Amino acid sequence: MSDLLINVGYGHFLVLAALLFLIGTVGVLIRRNALIILMSVELMLNAANMTLLTFSRMWGDLSGHTFALIVIAVAAAEAAVGLAIVVAVFRGRRNVDVDRLTTLRH
Amino acid sequence: MRVLLLILTVLVTLGAIEAIAPQLAVADPIPAQAVNQTPRTNITKRSPHGDKVESKDMGMALLFWAFAAATLGGALFVITRRNLIAAVMGMVGSFLGISAVYMMLYASFLSVIQMLVYAGAIMVLFVFVVMILNRPEDEPVAPTGRAGHVIGGLAIVYLVGRLILMLMQVQPPNPATAVQAPAQVTLPGDVVGTMEKVDWGSVKAVGWDLFGPGLFVFEAVSILLLIAVVGAIAIARPLHEDQNNAGEPRQIPRDEAATGGHA
Repeated sequence: MSDLLINVGYGHFLVLAALLFLIGTVGVLIRRNALIILMSVELMLNAANMTLLTFSRMWGDLSGHTFALIVIAVAAAEAAVGLAIVVAVFRGRRNVDVDRLTTLRH
Repeated sequence: MRVLLLILTVLVTLGAIEAIAPQLAVADPIPAQAVNQTPRTNITKRSPHGDKVESKDMGMALLFWAFAAATLGGALFVITRRNLIAAVMGMVGSFLGISAVYMMLYASFLSVIQMLVYAGAIMVLFVFVVMILNRPEDEPVAPTGRAGHVIGGLAIVYLVGRLILMLMQVQPPNPATAVQAPAQVTLPGDVVGTMEKVDWGSVKAVGWDLFGPGLFVFEAVSILLLIAVVGAIAIARPLHEDQNNAGEPRQIPRDEAATGGHA
């Protein structure tokens, strides 16, 4: 047990990324505020990035770093467009509760 | 009906995990001989830092656990706080922890980028939108049945437990080479014909990969960012009638200024 605590290896980083992804997933599933859902998606993207960097280090291949950089750029674009949608929705409805956005349901 | 659907989903997921898990646990993506083929970046065997990810160092372990706690604590803060500003601050803490973890993975450039882009730019954007909205949530968590909570909780605990057990056993494909994980990579130097050793994960090493094999993706992302900026402005712009109303007051001072100029 103490060996597991002291001897930090690749598996620890992967488990950390998996838990981060799990927290992001739970946030997307249980929260109703669109902003919190966007933030949870960002957490999931970060977890994927951490996995990429861990495997990049493990395999000795730098292309994982390039990929993580691309993911960060895409996450920035996603945040910009997502926040614009949130602002547009708020302008029309005065709230961003995803459970109340039922116009397209029928 | 919802509970039945949930049970069905959990059963299917468990079945899939049971079927996949044994193969994943023994997955060895490349055979032992393939390791000897040189990868894209030529990796030196010697490592001045020693191997750092597989470390028996107590201080390294302490730092890892501290930053892992910051990362997960910040993330939990995000999904539990009702106050949006508190959630954003938890997110910043989480990103700082992630940045430190990147540093432990010898991704120094990505660590700095994480700090600048995420904790700097994206979080500022979030804070702006939170300030625009400025409405606390009535009820942060959607209500569901008790049975759904119990089943969902048990499924999550089981799946995460299996995942942790599986991931803890992840081994490098060839432990003999991976224990000396590359601390430096060899790249062509400034002078033609020379070679130069740069740190793993440094700006130069990442840039060599980004602008070499990843050049097309880089250009594609630049176009994507342009489209996202234009799209964000187009979406967040006021509607058409609002725009006309907003345009009216701006016309008047311009006319006044013009007449004032003539007079």
